[in-house]
Amino acid sequence: MGEVMELNRGGPVPRDSDATDRVLFVRTSDMEIVNWDRSRIVEALVRETFLDRDTAERVAEAVDQMIHRSRIQVLTAPLIRELVDAKLIEMGLESARRMHTRLGMPLYDVEELLVAPNKENANVPHGPEATNLTLAENIKKEYALLAVFSQEVADAHMRGDLHLHDLGFIDRPYCSGQSLEYLKKFGLNLPNSLANARPAKHPEVLLAHMVKFSAALQSNFAGAIGWDAVNLFFAPYLEGLPDRDVEQLAQMLIFEYSQQAVARGGQAIFSDINLYWEVPKHFQDVPAIGPGGEYTGKTYGDYEKEAQRFLWKLFDVYAEGDASGRPFFFPKPLVHITEKFFQTEGHERFLHRICEVAAEKGNTYFVFDRGDTAKISECCRLAFKLEKSDLEDAKQPWRMRYSALQNVTLNLPRIAYRAGGDDTRLFQQLTEMMELAAQAHLQKKAFIERLLSQGERGPLSLLTMNRDGQPYLRMHRVSYLLGMVGLNEMIKIHTGQELHDSEDAFRFGLKVIAHMKLTADKLARKHDMHFVLEQTPAESTAYRFAKLDLKYYSPAAGSAVRGDVSRGEVYYTNSTQLHVGSPTNPVDRVRLEGLFHPLIEAGAITHLWLGEERPHPESLARFVVKIFRNTHNDQVAFSPEFTTCVACARTSRGLSETCPHCGSDDVEGITRITGYFTKISSWNKGKIGELHDRQRTAGYFSDAPSAGAGAAEA
Amino acid sequence: MTLFTKVGCEKCEYVKERVDLAALGVAVEELGPENPDALAHLAWHGLVNVAERNLPILVLEDSNYLTGAVRIRKYLEGLEGQAA
Ligand SMILES: [Zn+2]
Repeated sequence: MGEVMELNRGGPVPRDSDATDRVLFVRTSDMEIVNWDRSRIVEALVRETFLDRDTAERVAEAVDQMIHRSRIQVLTAPLIRELVDAKLIEMGLESARRMHTRLGMPLYDVEELLVAPNKENANVPHGPEATNLTLAENIKKEYALLAVFSQEVADAHMRGDLHLHDLGFIDRPYCSGQSLEYLKKFGLNLPNSLANARPAKHPEVLLAHMVKFSAALQSNFAGAIGWDAVNLFFAPYLEGLPDRDVEQLAQMLIFEYSQQAVARGGQAIFSDINLYWEVPKHFQDVPAIGPGGEYTGKTYGDYEKEAQRFLWKLFDVYAEGDASGRPFFFPKPLVHITEKFFQTEGHERFLHRICEVAAEKGNTYFVFDRGDTAKISECCRLAFKLEKSDLEDAKQPWRMRYSALQNVTLNLPRIAYRAGGDDTRLFQQLTEMMELAAQAHLQKKAFIERLLSQGERGPLSLLTMNRDGQPYLRMHRVSYLLGMVGLNEMIKIHTGQELHDSEDAFRFGLKVIAHMKLTADKLARKHDMHFVLEQTPAESTAYRFAKLDLKYYSPAAGSAVRGDVSRGEVYYTNSTQLHVGSPTNPVDRVRLEGLFHPLIEAGAITHLWLGEERPHPESLARFVVKIFRNTHNDQVAFSPEFTTCVACARTSRGLSETCPHCGSDDVEGITRITGYFTKISSWNKGKIGELHDRQRTAGYFSDAPSAGAGAAEA
Repeated sequence: MTLFTKVGCEKCEYVKERVDLAALGVAVEELGPENPDALAHLAWHGLVNVAERNLPILVLEDSNYLTGAVRIRKYLEGLEGQAA
């Protein structure tokens, strides 16, 4: 940005001097005071825009006159830039004005952010580090919309036709998934780090490396950081360790991730750990790496018992919760249920245990990997089926690191408003919107490649580090996510019925997603990029789209958005899910929503809202087995609700206004927003609206299975 | 009944050539990049993953299904026999 930083009328010159012989001073970015010199405007215009020097001179002269004519007491750099920009507009030099734009925030907003108490939301960290993040995000967002994306894409985002996620993190990829093998083999050896660490010799050190590396990755990715087969890859370090030590390690792992609120911008690392009771087939014969990065002489198949011991301890920690008995928010445990799971000794007891944790604390995510094909978990629930060439990767698991570069979500209800009930127009609009989303991906890809091309001296040096013959971020393997919000409302607007209302409505919904899937495949072939559908978690997007549609598509939107319009608590249903309030029973919800899942490559999930209900673990376990056997659902999570008391630090079941233990009204509600547990006071208005509408399972799983709860009939 | 097929699938052609599908009232759904209806229909029966490895698929009236060209042919020929 230009050096003209601040220009004081007067400055060191006495205030009472005559306007005509005033000397103007400029405070430069080097904190020097120099004489006002309009040629600096000329230099900035020539450097930053395509203007020729003559035109730049004319602009500068006009601005100079304006400044001298004015009676302004204090001139600031932003103001000079605004004056120049106003002159450029006046002269019809729009493209130069665009290039000369100044990014930043109004003084008032910065003051509100830095000084005022946090009114909106008492829970979002509000310390100096958090405000740093907000300030940086605001500028990067503006930069992204002006300089990274085309005007067409940026406008589509601004209007809410689609949503470009994490614009404040424009200079990073979206999410990352990896395995501990990278750290076990290469140690913690990061570019620009002051000290390099050799491969860990002890499990606590490996854990420290894992946590440190997660924090480093958090600084290089916008979203989730996932780890594959964590219990298995820890196992070679645990041989001969007393139970007490393994327990300690499990505690450390979970507490480290849940207390990372001191990390980037005061945000915990959005972390997933993938866990297996069995040794996954594709790791069975892979040589195991142990302490010091040395091969142990055994294969991972030999570590089944150690891996199970650690896994069991992890769930002991989840079961207990934190010091107040609250569920841990992170890391999210994703337990994979496979055919081999059921052939592995002890699976019944383990299934009972994780169902108990699901019932009591809600942590467990049940991930269903059916069939013979080996599946590898990437980030964002993205799982890919191992093809022959990928099996080579699995033999050297440190190579297995995956990323999605960006997530772009389509506003499906808006397409329905525009189609006016016409099928042809609906599908044509859908195709066009996906093509635009693909453009957004191409533009982000080009930008990231530009940053990566600077190698280890560039801003993404961590991602270019090359320890095994290829950069950490393997661009040829990245995925590009195409998400959707509000299929249910789209179908309602277009056909008059919601997904759960009739078979016709539901099958029309399937057709929309089938169309999206085929279009994503076509785009992938056309651009030679891996485009995949994703169920966007949409914590804020579902709210943003609904608000923007009320603005642009009323009155139609008035009856289509969900929630309470008068209170502004509006939202659309997430992704392809049935409406949260539909009376569909849990069995049908899992089965019906599961019919979409095979079309959504980057993973999909069904949420069951337990509310106050404390399910019987055996009833949940039977339900889980039936989901695996009888449905096509990819993933299920059960979400209880809690009230935690600030006064007595105890946690109780259900959402209540006062603490049932001490009667205090200083309480916090906790439940799953979409992809993770959090305090309800931090939710946006749209999600608050959704919370009111959620259909709880209400006793469905409460009985022991013999009592014949519907759970047994999936 | 519905027979799911796709262009360039020899086993699909095998069944189509040997059995009079129309006479048996078997609808043919040809999967392909331009046919979201067929894919949606396949998804409705929960057969997207099956179709990745096995085509053709015959979906019966009771929503059960058969794979394997020879098995499908024999099953349909059996029906032809009953009809005759
Ligand atoms: Zn209390």
